[in-house]
Amino acid sequence: MVNIQEVNKYLYKYREEILPKYWYNIIPDLPKPLPPPMDPKDTNSRIELLQRILPKEVIKQQFTIDRFVKIPEEILEKYVVVGRPTPLFRAIGLEKFLDTPARIYFKYEGALPTGSHKVNTAIAQVYYAYSENVEGVTTETGAGQWGSAVALASSLYRLKSIVFMVKTSYDHKPARRSLIEFYGAEVVPSPSKITRFGRSLLENNPDHPGSLGIAISEAIEYALEHGYRYVMGSVIDVVLLHQTIIGLEAMRQMELIGEEPDIIVACVGGGSNFAGLAYPFIGLRNKGKRFIAVGSAEVPKFSKGEYRYDYPDTAGLLPLLKMITLGKDFVPPPIYSGGLRYHGLAPSLSLLIRERVVEAIEYREVEVYKAARIFAETQGIVPAPESAHAVKAVIDIALEARKRNEKITILFNLSGHGLLDIDNYKSMMIRYGRF
Amino acid sequence: MEKLLVVYITLGYPSIEKFTQFISQVGDCGASYIEVGIPPSFAKYDGPAIRRSYEYVKSLGINAENVLKIVAKNSSAPVIALTYLDDYVNNLDEFAEKMLSTGIEYVLLPDLLIDYVDMYRDIVNTLHKYGIKTTMFVSSSTPDKLIAEASKHSKPFLYFGLRPATGIPLPVDPVILVTRARKLVQNKLVVGFGLSIKDIEKVVKAGADGIAVGTAIIEAIEKSDVEKALELVKELRGVLDDL
Repeated sequence: MVNIQEVNKYLYKYREEILPKYWYNIIPDLPKPLPPPMDPKDTNSRIELLQRILPKEVIKQQFTIDRFVKIPEEILEKYVVVGRPTPLFRAIGLEKFLDTPARIYFKYEGALPTGSHKVNTAIAQVYYAYSENVEGVTTETGAGQWGSAVALASSLYRLKSIVFMVKTSYDHKPARRSLIEFYGAEVVPSPSKITRFGRSLLENNPDHPGSLGIAISEAIEYALEHGYRYVMGSVIDVVLLHQTIIGLEAMRQMELIGEEPDIIVACVGGGSNFAGLAYPFIGLRNKGKRFIAVGSAEVPKFSKGEYRYDYPDTAGLLPLLKMITLGKDFVPPPIYSGGLRYHGLAPSLSLLIRERVVEAIEYREVEVYKAARIFAETQGIVPAPESAHAVKAVIDIALEARKRNEKITILFNLSGHGLLDIDNYKSMMIRYGRF
Repeated sequence: MEKLLVVYITLGYPSIEKFTQFISQVGDCGASYIEVGIPPSFAKYDGPAIRRSYEYVKSLGINAENVLKIVAKNSSAPVIALTYLDDYVNNLDEFAEKMLSTGIEYVLLPDLLIDYVDMYRDIVNTLHKYGIKTTMFVSSSTPDKLIAEASKHSKPFLYFGLRPATGIPLPVDPVILVTRARKLVQNKLVVGFGLSIKDIEKVVKAGADGIAVGTAIIEAIEKSDVEKALELVKELRGVLDDL
């Protein structure tokens, strides 16, 4: 008979061994100084604004030079609640299918309740807001991934959350909207009537479709007016810091099975899931390793982006960041990897790509779609369209290894599952065929 | 050893007369060095108050070279000229000659180690060739290795900025930052960027040889007058001397 106590003891020990007590901050280990956030010419200070809308501890972490930042007990506890440490899988099915000598491992962030890595930073930021005794938090969401992560984090700390959802998504992604509401958050179509900015837009155009930039503006205005805190989903250093829990866990998990990755791969939107997996390895154990960031060819920031100061948000409310960017007004084609449509790239990751510490490649949606199908059919998990970019790169690397008969070890981030994107995949099946 | 107090003022602010009064008296009020900001075309790493002062001075249409000559003649402490390399990177020799002819000994370029890090040694060498000394500016996001290396080219001290922009009191931990920098450099270490009075004791105990003050001076002049700013310098000198 199963001894429950023994099982619990084992689970506890496993968790204790894997779950890190610190996040890792790459700033002091970068090859060059990170250009600081900058205020634009002739305007109010955006850096000053940050101070009024973000929790103090979040700002402190944004500018810290400590290599390791302690994770508070209250956050660790919630990490355990949502299922950390997440599993590390070996993709045996995929390896067999590709007939490759490469060993392929992936960290599965899709195992988290909202289906992606986003909740790792949502929990941290919401906790710091909660510890300032505010009534609630605000944020924006496009397709809904980030919104649901914030809604969950807020419900864990019993804090109110108001999610400004881009009007078109609000109308066309009812499942995501319901998920956010199910967690107890208030979802407001943006532009909305509850902010001055929203009302001014609706006056001119009652059917305004909204945009992520507008939703950010509304979330910030609401936070300012109501004493709420604003939480951010990607790009800024502090978000990347929180996500390093992924790589720190993976490092430990690989150690326990006696493996060391040669190549580390993740997809890139704003950069947080890539940084999450790769930064601990880049900063602490990079010898002989390759790091590969995978983007979308439809949002060609690696091949066509410039390295310069640009706004992280379309509305231009936040401080300028020096990053690889297609320009804040870049309009992406309607690809389905919503998370990769972002015009910019986290400053630290931009710098690492410029310095050639990280390699960057891009794939077209049709190639990514095929890779997603292969992965689903050989491994069972439907990858999020974003994460499928990493899958595509891994397949190519593994096939290359077969040609050269190289026994390399690959580690990639499966940052989310694609069950909530199945309508998108359906549309790809219609467009690109079933194969 | 006396703790260093580095006092910032924008060139020609708030008027040539008041500015001249300020720089001729500030040394006696306790300033060890006067840092004079030459209005750049874009003060990208400065905070709102200093940016306002630049815009104001520009609107007065002053001639920087002429005012710098006044500085050399009237200053009551050694002068460090602060300006952005952005404006001079293509005519560095001309810039060095200009500084030399106005009698400026030290130059601080806040963007040197951020935007021109690949060529900073060449730039420093060029300036040194003309006899201009460089006051290097590093910040909390400068990697350890570069802080240690840049410090060797820095005179009369290494300027360590605690925050990403001047004058905005973002919550950073000055003690952690200064302790780290202290371990990396042999040079005198001056700490600036949004320090409050209660921070001063902490950063000095953590190993700083002095502090720099800028935004508070400009704000004192904005709200009141140069007399008020001079009083603030005296007060800061008092705090430093009591430690």
